[in-house]
Amino acid sequence: MDLLFDSVQSAFLLLVACDPELLTIVWVSLKVSGTSTIIASLIGIPCGFLIAHSNFYGKRLVLTCLNTLLALPTVVIGLVVYSFISRRGIFGPLELLYTQKAIIVGQVILIIPLVASLTIAAVSRIDSRYRKTALTLGATHLQMAWVVIKEARYGIGAAVIAAFGRVIAEVGISMMLGGNAKGFTRTMTTAMALEYDKGEFVLAVALGLTLMSIAFGVNMLFHFFQGRTRIDAL
Amino acid sequence: MLYKTLELRKTFKERTVLNLENLTIEKEKIYALIGANGAGKTTLLNILAFLDTPTTGQLHFYERAVQYNNSQLLELRRRVVLVDQYPILFTGPVWKNVEFGLKVRGVSKAERKKRIEKVLRLVGMENFILADAHKLSGGEGKRVALARALAIEPEVLLCDEPTANVDAENQEIILNILKTINRENKTSIILATHYLSQIRQVADHTLMLEHGCLSNKAKENIYRCQRMSRRGETLLCHLNDHVSLSIPYEQQQKIQRNSTVHINPHMVRICQKRVETLHENTLTGYVTRIEQDNSLIRLTIACGITLHLVLKVEEYKELQPMIGEEKAVTIPDEALSISE
Repeated sequence: MDLLFDSVQSAFLLLVACDPELLTIVWVSLKVSGTSTIIASLIGIPCGFLIAHSNFYGKRLVLTCLNTLLALPTVVIGLVVYSFISRRGIFGPLELLYTQKAIIVGQVILIIPLVASLTIAAVSRIDSRYRKTALTLGATHLQMAWVVIKEARYGIGAAVIAAFGRVIAEVGISMMLGGNAKGFTRTMTTAMALEYDKGEFVLAVALGLTLMSIAFGVNMLFHFFQGRTRIDAL
Repeated sequence: MLYKTLELRKTFKERTVLNLENLTIEKEKIYALIGANGAGKTTLLNILAFLDTPTTGQLHFYERAVQYNNSQLLELRRRVVLVDQYPILFTGPVWKNVEFGLKVRGVSKAERKKRIEKVLRLVGMENFILADAHKLSGGEGKRVALARALAIEPEVLLCDEPTANVDAENQEIILNILKTINRENKTSIILATHYLSQIRQVADHTLMLEHGCLSNKAKENIYRCQRMSRRGETLLCHLNDHVSLSIPYEQQQKIQRNSTVHINPHMVRICQKRVETLHENTLTGYVTRIEQDNSLIRLTIACGITLHLVLKVEEYKELQPMIGEEKAVTIPDEALSISE
């Protein structure tokens, strides 16, 4: 118990002192996770919208596959991407391995199914009359899609937040594809794993607190906007 | 000619919900579309609004066959607008809702502002321009939806039950708006409604749909009919479980379990003198409503069933029925028609 208490106390001191190593790790984490969330959202939201709004042969199979991919372990993605970007892989010449780009690629693959699935759920809940009204008022299909996405914005926002939460907390991809290089590909989770291996709990706990604070802050921000709009609508 | 259908059919899972062999709709007129629930009114409006495609057959719009490709559909949809029975307003203020159709058409900001103010004034919602659309009452929401449709100055306005679930004051406002835009902008209007009194008030023509087909049978005076007893050649039936009526011999074969009987309101007559021994198809009840329908007078009599009848003005002046007065009416055999 003393160990944990001492670690928390020292972690606070590190955070208050704005330790440069800690800040670098946090910055790399936010940059990599933020970028992968944006890329996955740009792909996953339109895909989710299209799947939700189209009726095609095999739609059920696609939905089942997407739901299955939600449970995909990060180490499996790490292994698959590694096989493509390692020196012997087909993308080997691009020299992506052990770079932030490699982590981003892996994380994008991890969360596209999550963003798409939650977007499908959010868009499917939107009243079909929005689509019909937009079309009868002369909207193109793209303008109609924008109307539906705007109406489903909270559900889609929740999908993006969930995706960000998933990537900022994952360790397998960052470790396998990033290599945990200090100041370069060391993220909060890989640093915590390393510090734990070394028996240095102070930095690990400080990073854990920061990680939780970020997750809490992002969720609070989302709920604040969502709640304010809902109260306005009452 | 505005619309013309050629052997137009719409089927859902092998069930034909619409079957219009030859329907012609003229431009610049107000058409009322009436029919029971499931008669195909909404399906027809969706097809006329180019939001749905017929399963077979053709639809002509201004003498031109509709090709269901994206570019032509967009062009056609920008000339016709449908206001739903339960219109949905987009999240945001009223003015943003009204602006939508103008914005997607690329209308300039100054023109958009002018038209938003104009249509909101027309529907009497100018004071709600900044209000949150989702906070409006049902009637106000319908008026905003109408304003949103009118802002784009459509050639054709299709309204699905524009006055359903709306209080009497808002009903009057909506009907007046429809009459005004038809008169002033020459907008062709097709409205689906259940209210026959409103049809008489606004419509130039009435289209009746029955099981997806055009019918010339008035929707009023239709009753559920149940076989009761037979006495010689006379078959007695119950109408809506309240009133018994003898069915003419030649129509008796048509009586099935779910038959309906239609009483032609133009053939029902008020008995001039009090009848001591009532004819089998003479009913007695109280006058509950009297209204003028162009050159005719319409009476509603509560006689176990709500019976509508139509009198010429001369007949009305002679009989002088009054609200609340007890009257006997005779239903001649030729006024009855049975359908399954």
